[in-house]
Amino acid sequence: MYAAWTVKHKPKSLSEIVGNKEALQKLIEWVQSWEKGIPKKRAAFLYGTPGVGKTVTAETLANDFKMEFVEKNASDYRTEEAINRFAGLASQYGSLFGGKRIILLDELDGLTGTADRGGVKAITDIVKNAQSPIVLIANNPYDPRFTTLRSHCLLIEFKKPPAGEVAKHLKRICEAEGIQAEENALKFIAQRSEGDIRSALNDLQALAQGKKSLTYDDVSWLGYRDRQETIFNVLRMIIYGKTSIGAKQAVGMADVDNDMLFEWIYENAPIHLTDPHDLAMAMDALSMADVYRGRIRSTQDWSLMRYVIDYMTAGVAMARQNTKTSGWIPFKFPERIQMLSRSKSERAMKLSIGRKIKRKCHISAVRASKEFLPYIRIIFKNNVEMAAGLSRWLDLDSEMVEYIAGSEEKAEEIAKLLS
Amino acid sequence: MSFEMWAEKYRPKKLDDMVNQKEIVERLKSFVKSRNVPHCIFAGPPGTGKTTAALCLARDLYGEAYRDHVMELNASDERGIDVVRETVKTFARARAMGDIPFKVMILDEADNMTGDAQQALRRTMERYTETCRFIMCANYSGKIIEPIQSRCAPFRFTFLPREEHDKYLKCIAEKENVKLLEDGFDAIFEVCSGDLRKAINTLQAAASLDKPVDAKVVYSITGRAHPADVQKMIEVAMSGNFLEARKQLRDMIQKYGVAGSDIIRQIHTEIFRTSIPEPWKIKLADVVGEIDYRLVEGADEEVQLSALLARLVEASSKLGKSS
Repeated sequence: MYAAWTVKHKPKSLSEIVGNKEALQKLIEWVQSWEKGIPKKRAAFLYGTPGVGKTVTAETLANDFKMEFVEKNASDYRTEEAINRFAGLASQYGSLFGGKRIILLDELDGLTGTADRGGVKAITDIVKNAQSPIVLIANNPYDPRFTTLRSHCLLIEFKKPPAGEVAKHLKRICEAEGIQAEENALKFIAQRSEGDIRSALNDLQALAQGKKSLTYDDVSWLGYRDRQETIFNVLRMIIYGKTSIGAKQAVGMADVDNDMLFEWIYENAPIHLTDPHDLAMAMDALSMADVYRGRIRSTQDWSLMRYVIDYMTAGVAMARQNTKTSGWIPFKFPERIQMLSRSKSERAMKLSIGRKIKRKCHISAVRASKEFLPYIRIIFKNNVEMAAGLSRWLDLDSEMVEYIAGSEEKAEEIAKLLS
Repeated sequence: MSFEMWAEKYRPKKLDDMVNQKEIVERLKSFVKSRNVPHCIFAGPPGTGKTTAALCLARDLYGEAYRDHVMELNASDERGIDVVRETVKTFARARAMGDIPFKVMILDEADNMTGDAQQALRRTMERYTETCRFIMCANYSGKIIEPIQSRCAPFRFTFLPREEHDKYLKCIAEKENVKLLEDGFDAIFEVCSGDLRKAINTLQAAASLDKPVDAKVVYSITGRAHPADVQKMIEVAMSGNFLEARKQLRDMIQKYGVAGSDIIRQIHTEIFRTSIPEPWKIKLADVVGEIDYRLVEGADEEVQLSALLARLVEASSKLGKSS
């Protein structure tokens, strides 16, 4: 069973918050001012892009000041009526148990449409009369709906923390998890996340969990990733999709081409579908998607792509019938792609030997490297004389000879016979 | 012992030298006699003499200087439309020299050409029939578009029968002073099932050990050339571990370059050897057949074969419940 690292390694105190020292200072001063009586601004409005630590700041603030923490988010205050249900909490200073209380209204951006208009007004009323500190959080405080509310709040901006600080944070977590991480690997993750600590942490977990070490090579593929809708979210929409339409729509959100997306699904679907029947159905869908890819290749009729997409998204989503959702399973980068890039130079070598064989044996370089090379390799291992003869006949260069022979000594023996 | 690839050294030079595909050879000889060749498709499994037949035909037709009149192109290496537009067209439209009014273009592994390259080829074939005749070699004629098929005389190559296979290997073994024992023949035939190129390569690799070639030697060679432990992979899949089975499959294909068609053939054989209840075997064979068909149609061997592995995992889980 996995626990998300964003939860497991959540800061417990304000001192552990990454970056935003100025904002924290402003917030602390405002909370302390409550000791001397109710300040003019009874609410602090924290704003900033996702994942910079707004919510966790409010939580640790309550923790550090030993205050009772009451948290509400968008669904709790969609309407005026819903808000009035907890308005009383805010109208009295201190909690039942004699302690102080702080109230957090998170995700204000979640209030949309005219139905929620009353909601913002009710919140404004609560703020005006609050007897306990209230913290509001939104991504964009300059939304016209918040104009009146804003004027009653102390605005505190949370900025994106610099990559260096995020990397340091990642490093602490790696240490706690017993992972040896290369400096530039963490820096890469931090930079990719553009100040979104939460996504940086999710990435780190997906890449490093269960490993002893993390290298730059392990993470560099993150370059494929889309900031808006991460490939992980796309995969979740497909593999855990409940409707065909929903799964199909995920394609538009992925920042990778369809072939790459196919690889992601093909790598991960079996990890997430443990029931044998579901697995077989999903793999069958992927197999059919691949059949359509083959048809595209032979007919060059790209309109067939829609069926590839149907099978690889809806087909996989609908395969899920018996598998139970069990905890958090990470998504993995397609291993085949990693293998491909790793063995690139080897394939280039095989192909150039294949070309030499092609010149003599009336066969394509591709097939020559599959059908002749394995046997030539055996000959090179067993029989230096034959190896030398073949090298001459095929006109292999010394690099090729060494590659086929598999060792320097053997290559030297062969070279001696050649000179 | 000579230092060439024997598969090349002992490739027949003339149609008369070809040991098998008798009917095909007879028809080709009649083309030579009439000094006219239609567009042809040579279809059949690997190692059955398609390219050899095309080269022999060319040599019989033009004599030793055949290279001046013949172009060989490998579609696996050059499969795009640009090749057809430029290389093929340039060759096809140039006038032929000598007394035969056309040249010959051998398009090997033509089933690997893209669809639009084939479309372009079809026009080229039509326009320059006077000056150029095409011989297309392919494993699956089904992968060649209908309009090209209808313009070509079809020739179906089949695997070599056992006697001819043995005769050929024996001849090579004698010339190369290799002692090929009786069970060595059996083993090579079992492993290569009539693919003569593979058989000769196996023999040559076995000969490099400098000892008499018996079954044991042959199996050790093929084991090392194709470390496809299909049996083990099936066991892993039947034990329910799909991810591990897929990993083994991936290694076979990517690291060792084993062809998907070889793997599926072995899976098919293995299914009838396993200890699953008899009625299941034919059900699984049906699944194997379906995947085999998709393999031909599809784009990616690993994807298709891992779909098959998933079906094995599913079958074994049902098996556990029913027994």
